[in-house]
Amino acid sequence: MNRPSEFSSIEHSQLIELQDRLREAEETLDAIRNGEVDALVVGGPSGQQVYTLENADRPYRVLIEQMQEGAVTLSEDGVMLYCNQRFAALVGADRQTLIGESIERFLAGEEIFAFRRLMTLDRGFGRSAELSLLASNGLVVPVNMSIADLEVDEQMPKVLCGVITDLTRSRERSHELAAANLRLAREIDERRRVEDSLQLALDAAEMGHWDLDLLNNTLTRSTRHDQIFGQVNGVKGWGLLTMLSQFVPDDRNAVNEEFLRAESSGSVEFERRIHRLNDGAVRWVQVKGRTFYLNDKAIRISGVVSDVTERRQVEEQLRQSQKMEAIGKLTGGIAHDFNNLLMVIGGSLDMLDQRVAKNEKITRYLTAARHGVERGATLNQQLLAFSRRQDLRAETICIDDLINTFANLLDRAVGEAVTVKIEAAPELWYCRTDAHQLETAILNLAINARDAMPQGGTLTLKTTIRMLDVQAATANGASAGDYVAVSVADTGVGMTPDVIERVFEPFFTTKEVGKGTGLGLSQVYGFARQSGGFVSIESCPGIGTTVSIHLPRATSLEATEVVADTPVEVRGKGIVLVVEDDSDVRAVASSLLEDLGYSVLEAETGSEAMKLMDRGERIDLVFTDVIMPGEMNGIDLVRAMKIKHAGIPVLLTSGYTAQRIAMAEMAEGLQLLRKPYTQVDLSLAVRSVMKDQA
Amino acid sequence: MTDHNDSDLPEGQYKLRLFITGSTPRSTRAIENMRRICAENLEGRYDLEVVDVYQDPEATKDLQIIATPTLVKILPEPLRRIIGDLSDRERVLAGLDIAPLGKGDHE
Repeated sequence: MNRPSEFSSIEHSQLIELQDRLREAEETLDAIRNGEVDALVVGGPSGQQVYTLENADRPYRVLIEQMQEGAVTLSEDGVMLYCNQRFAALVGADRQTLIGESIERFLAGEEIFAFRRLMTLDRGFGRSAELSLLASNGLVVPVNMSIADLEVDEQMPKVLCGVITDLTRSRERSHELAAANLRLAREIDERRRVEDSLQLALDAAEMGHWDLDLLNNTLTRSTRHDQIFGQVNGVKGWGLLTMLSQFVPDDRNAVNEEFLRAESSGSVEFERRIHRLNDGAVRWVQVKGRTFYLNDKAIRISGVVSDVTERRQVEEQLRQSQKMEAIGKLTGGIAHDFNNLLMVIGGSLDMLDQRVAKNEKITRYLTAARHGVERGATLNQQLLAFSRRQDLRAETICIDDLINTFANLLDRAVGEAVTVKIEAAPELWYCRTDAHQLETAILNLAINARDAMPQGGTLTLKTTIRMLDVQAATANGASAGDYVAVSVADTGVGMTPDVIERVFEPFFTTKEVGKGTGLGLSQVYGFARQSGGFVSIESCPGIGTTVSIHLPRATSLEATEVVADTPVEVRGKGIVLVVEDDSDVRAVASSLLEDLGYSVLEAETGSEAMKLMDRGERIDLVFTDVIMPGEMNGIDLVRAMKIKHAGIPVLLTSGYTAQRIAMAEMAEGLQLLRKPYTQVDLSLAVRSVMKDQA
Repeated sequence: MTDHNDSDLPEGQYKLRLFITGSTPRSTRAIENMRRICAENLEGRYDLEVVDVYQDPEATKDLQIIATPTLVKILPEPLRRIIGDLSDRERVLAGLDIAPLGKGDHE
């Protein structure tokens, strides 16, 4: 002010600026003087320091007091310098008793070490740990404790601040959550186990699973399901229509109806045929399922599918073999009785022949009648062959040797229109069978082949070898092993499956009345079975038929017997005991023997015969039927005689050679005369037995 | 004080900074008063920063703050400091060089 010359040079605007700044400074001073400020900021060597005035930190204090976490300040060794209300409540103590106490008072055992580690951890950083506080009332409170260094002043002793959060609720929630998780995990495990065992069961049963969603028409399938349908690579979505298209056209409507019905009935079950996709084979599948509803509306059908083709084949084979067995028994019974009738007729004819004065007419009648008996006997042989009750003269033979001798026979049998081709086997194969029966069987097949080719064609006779494993053999009702297969193939009309099913039945024929007996294939069938083999047929309408006789292969060649025919009757002397239950047959047999020069005793049963022998009657030969009713049949009689009358020779006779019974006795040198026999047959047999004995 | 001259600020725009001390009643009142004054008189043409000197003591240095609460008008120049809880509206408006609404234009 004492230098007015300087002021005069100050611009007016500068003056105003200075005035304003002066006013600002005065206002600041006034405000401080009047206490209108909260804090003063003072610059210093260590930066700006804020000095708060009265109550400036009150809101923070309130905040700390009222928060839901416990808060403490601690000295370096854990003595509490301050704690809020919440912390006091946590440990269940009065705040007044806590200040100056060590916080370790509320930590039990190991927890103290955990706390001390927490306190000494990296200084300057916040750190935290989960601890358990032991409250005054004995409760254990799980807490999270966060510790941080409280930077106040370098001169001040070290102070730490801690925030303690009660974890009780959170732990409870965690426990609940863990328990819920555990339950869930167990349920998942359980469900997986159920699914696994279901899968195992389905796999074991070779069943596929499917699930048809009716709302959006999609079909979910398992891998096995697709395998059954021959769908090799997993393919696009299926609907009901896709599934229907897998079934053979004839079955589609029926399958569709089954599924429609399932929507109301609640379940579905059927067996139908499909065309398997990968190989086009026709397979039978069984489909079973259940319908699921939502608000009374069918929403999906779910179930299983399995391939039952093999089961059906086995059932079919079983039915077929049971049928053949039953027919065989019936046929065998008829043949037995029929043989006795033929025996009576034939024997009577033989005796008439010797007793009546002959003229041309009588001779012709007798010849015709005898011819009839022979035809009847042939027919009967075929019936017996089918029922497997004929007497097989089994020997080891080379099929090729036989087939070569058949060639001429076949040429004559089939006529000129048919070309006969013989395909010889590359090796010589042997099998054990009755050569005569095999010849008859091949002839029967040749005649059938000829009749199947009225316009001519080719007949092929072929020998092959087939090795059958257990499965293939069982399917044919035979045992596993090597078989020699003799096949007769024609290029004729062929047969439909329903005809094939019945061809082996006796008297089943597709030929015109009078043209066939219906016994040809029956003989083939019975002969093959009795030889331990089987017959297979392959046929296709319009293409031809191949019938193969499978005979078990034999390993070694046995010497074949050479039987010389000497068809001349031989008379003899001696007393013959005729044992026969059928009185007509007994009368004929006795007459025939008497004609041959023998004396005859008769017995109706085995026991009656034994009585005669026991009485000491002189008997040079016992001529007995094998099959007789009552307690003692022919075989029993032979056994009884072995004990008491071993010296008397025996000749057996039967029209019904039950092979099993006879074979054992035959091995002991017993001879068997097959019914019906002629007087010549009888004379030779009796002579042979008595000569052996003499 | 040229370092506070934000030249990118449009003409007539106010740049203000309010220094307070935590959540004290006076600081709270200062914030409320400031917001009301701004809303009523500077709608759309102000940029206000509130600085808590507890959290950022160094921020007081440049603007030579010696007590809180203090409002600083950084722009438009000249720089002015208004101390107190800003309850004297007339004084605040004068400090900000704004004529109160409803009154005649300031000379």
